[in-house]
Amino acid sequence: MITKNNIDSFIEKIPPAPTVIKETLLYLNIGDLVKAAKVAQEDKALTLYMKTLVNKPIYGFRHEVNDISQIFGILGVSKSQQAVYNYLMTLLSPSKWKLFKLNKVLFYNLQADLSVNWQKILNHLHIEDKEIESAISLLPASIIVSEALFCDKIHDVELIRSTHPIDLNTIIKRLAGLDIFDICQRISEKWEMGERIIQIIQASSGVKPSQDEFINTLGKWMHLFLFYTLSQPKYIEAELNDFIDFQIDYVGDIYNDFSKLMEIS
Amino acid sequence: MRAIIKNGIGTFYPQGFLDGSSSAAILTLEDIQATIHNNSDMILVSLKKVIFFNRNGLDVFVKMFQKVRAANQTAVGFCDYDTKKYDAISRFYKDDLMFSLFKSQDIAMLFSSSFKNQNKNVLLFSDDKSQRAAMAIELHDNGHNPIIAQTQEEFEEKVTAKNAYDIIISDTFLGQMGQKVATRVTGNAIIYTVSSFLDAEISATFNISYHNNSLNVGFRLFIFDAYKVISMNVHALNFFSKLSSSGAEYNATICFIGMSFEKTPLVFKETLEDAGIMFFNQMDDILQNKELLEELGASSPANVKEKRTLNKVIVSELPNFIDATVATIEMMTNSQAIKEAAKVEKIEISNKEGKIASSLGFYGDIDGMVILVFPIGIAKKACELLIGEEVDDTEIILDTLAELVNIVGGKVKTLLSDQHISVDITLPRTYPNVDSLLEIVQNKKGVQVDLSFNNDKFLFFLTR
Repeated sequence: MITKNNIDSFIEKIPPAPTVIKETLLYLNIGDLVKAAKVAQEDKALTLYMKTLVNKPIYGFRHEVNDISQIFGILGVSKSQQAVYNYLMTLLSPSKWKLFKLNKVLFYNLQADLSVNWQKILNHLHIEDKEIESAISLLPASIIVSEALFCDKIHDVELIRSTHPIDLNTIIKRLAGLDIFDICQRISEKWEMGERIIQIIQASSGVKPSQDEFINTLGKWMHLFLFYTLSQPKYIEAELNDFIDFQIDYVGDIYNDFSKLMEIS
Repeated sequence: MRAIIKNGIGTFYPQGFLDGSSSAAILTLEDIQATIHNNSDMILVSLKKVIFFNRNGLDVFVKMFQKVRAANQTAVGFCDYDTKKYDAISRFYKDDLMFSLFKSQDIAMLFSSSFKNQNKNVLLFSDDKSQRAAMAIELHDNGHNPIIAQTQEEFEEKVTAKNAYDIIISDTFLGQMGQKVATRVTGNAIIYTVSSFLDAEISATFNISYHNNSLNVGFRLFIFDAYKVISMNVHALNFFSKLSSSGAEYNATICFIGMSFEKTPLVFKETLEDAGIMFFNQMDDILQNKELLEELGASSPANVKEKRTLNKVIVSELPNFIDATVATIEMMTNSQAIKEAAKVEKIEISNKEGKIASSLGFYGDIDGMVILVFPIGIAKKACELLIGEEVDDTEIILDTLAELVNIVGGKVKTLLSDQHISVDITLPRTYPNVDSLLEIVQNKKGVQVDLSFNNDKFLFFLTR
């Protein structure tokens, strides 16, 4: 159904990060928002994406923000970097979703929901680190990878899953020897995202705890937060709720803290 | 959401957080009805991967449970939880617990009439006396050996001897159980479970198409587990007499186990015996007696009066059957199939060694039987995807093979439905060796297609 060759060919087809994005990220890395905005302006699609993203209600701006320099200014270095990575991710997303009942708007909403609430979690944990803030933008890659590999095998997946409680991640792992999060890692390497981003994403799979306690804790928060987000009706209806297995034991020790932060009762 | 159906239990696996709005998005009444339609006599929602739920979240499921019970008498409930979750549910529905709560899937299976591995030693405790009694009766009726702890202290003391029990039941509540005629396969006998009052309703609750196709697939022994039958009226008497007569052309036997005639006229028993139905007191009287099993047809060759032949409609659908089979096995083994030969003949298996087989009947707009003969290597490879590791246990391989053949059946069903041909499929039957398969099909003519998967020879046979 899916072989290592299919996966290699998928990874091969991933385009390198466009020059404008690379340059924008370079300026953001050194904290130069003005130059970053100026370079970003050259990419109309990036500009449009940034406008769409920050004007979503979850970002909470009272007035519509249209100017790209203003957007970078309001977001600051970390969130701008996160938004640029989010944009990079959309370049990988399909124009038409088949496995998941997603569309462009819903996918952007998911990115916004993840980004804003991840920030809330990092504030709660007193973490200020732009690489860690950006890690969340790689998480939807797991959804894109699943879509790309399984979109022509929907019926096969349904049949297998009607006899066994098996998630897409396990199916890929058993068939091809590497899982969805390994493929995310390959994407992030291709786009030269930071090493810690990769480590956090791997830990957030819930099945590969990190030896580094700090990274592992972030992995737990991200794993639980992913399922908190995917428990919203709009994402359940998009059939995102069970594409990977929720590892309830992995997040047991942070659940109370999480539920207080998210005011779950 | 789709359920996973195993041993007659359809289980839904929601993940994450359940509140009123998320639960409504997860499960619909149609999802449950579709699961019941696929031979489930128990519907459960697993809470294994649910970290948070509130009363509103569970209410959505409970309302659906009520509707399903009223319409289908199916057993319903939740499973896979810890004590904290059990206490929360018990608190939410203190005086209104109409559904069941099973701490684990294994416990739920003990109460499912479709569960085939019986005779388990079960330690059981509930602080509710009537629950203890109800569970013990159900377990006993289902062929298990319940050991009841009367107090928490006694339970804690007994539980220390873990090895003495196959399963330990606690934090479990038995709601109303099912009334459907449930089906399970034990070896090569089909067991139907009937209960309560047998009247004209039996012709509605008994799946006659399924029964007829089981006959066609090669099952010859049909056992009615009637321990829980209170009485039978003349309509049911006529139904069973007819069922027995119609099975006679296949040389099939129908037996009743544990039927009490306290509230049923004894003359009914004589009438049924005249129709060829046999009566036994205990299930083990048959299942543990190999000679009797053979005599009753559970392992004897088919002796079909009228041989059915392939017809044009089935042959014209052959590519669909082949495609479904090849695609499924390619999918499960990640290997490529090469079609080597096709012929219309009696089945011919050149090398019988190291092969296992499975058959699956289909019925509806067209009917027939698909037989697949696997080299054990392909079967093991296909099992790896579902189980996740290499296995050598023949029973596990045969069980997984049955699931694989079910997947083939599901695929055939979809491909045919694309052409507006509607069929249902029977439970798959498995054969640990080629000889046991040949007992059933050696005289049947059909289309045989020889395939090769990475040089492993695989055989597909389509017949009626």
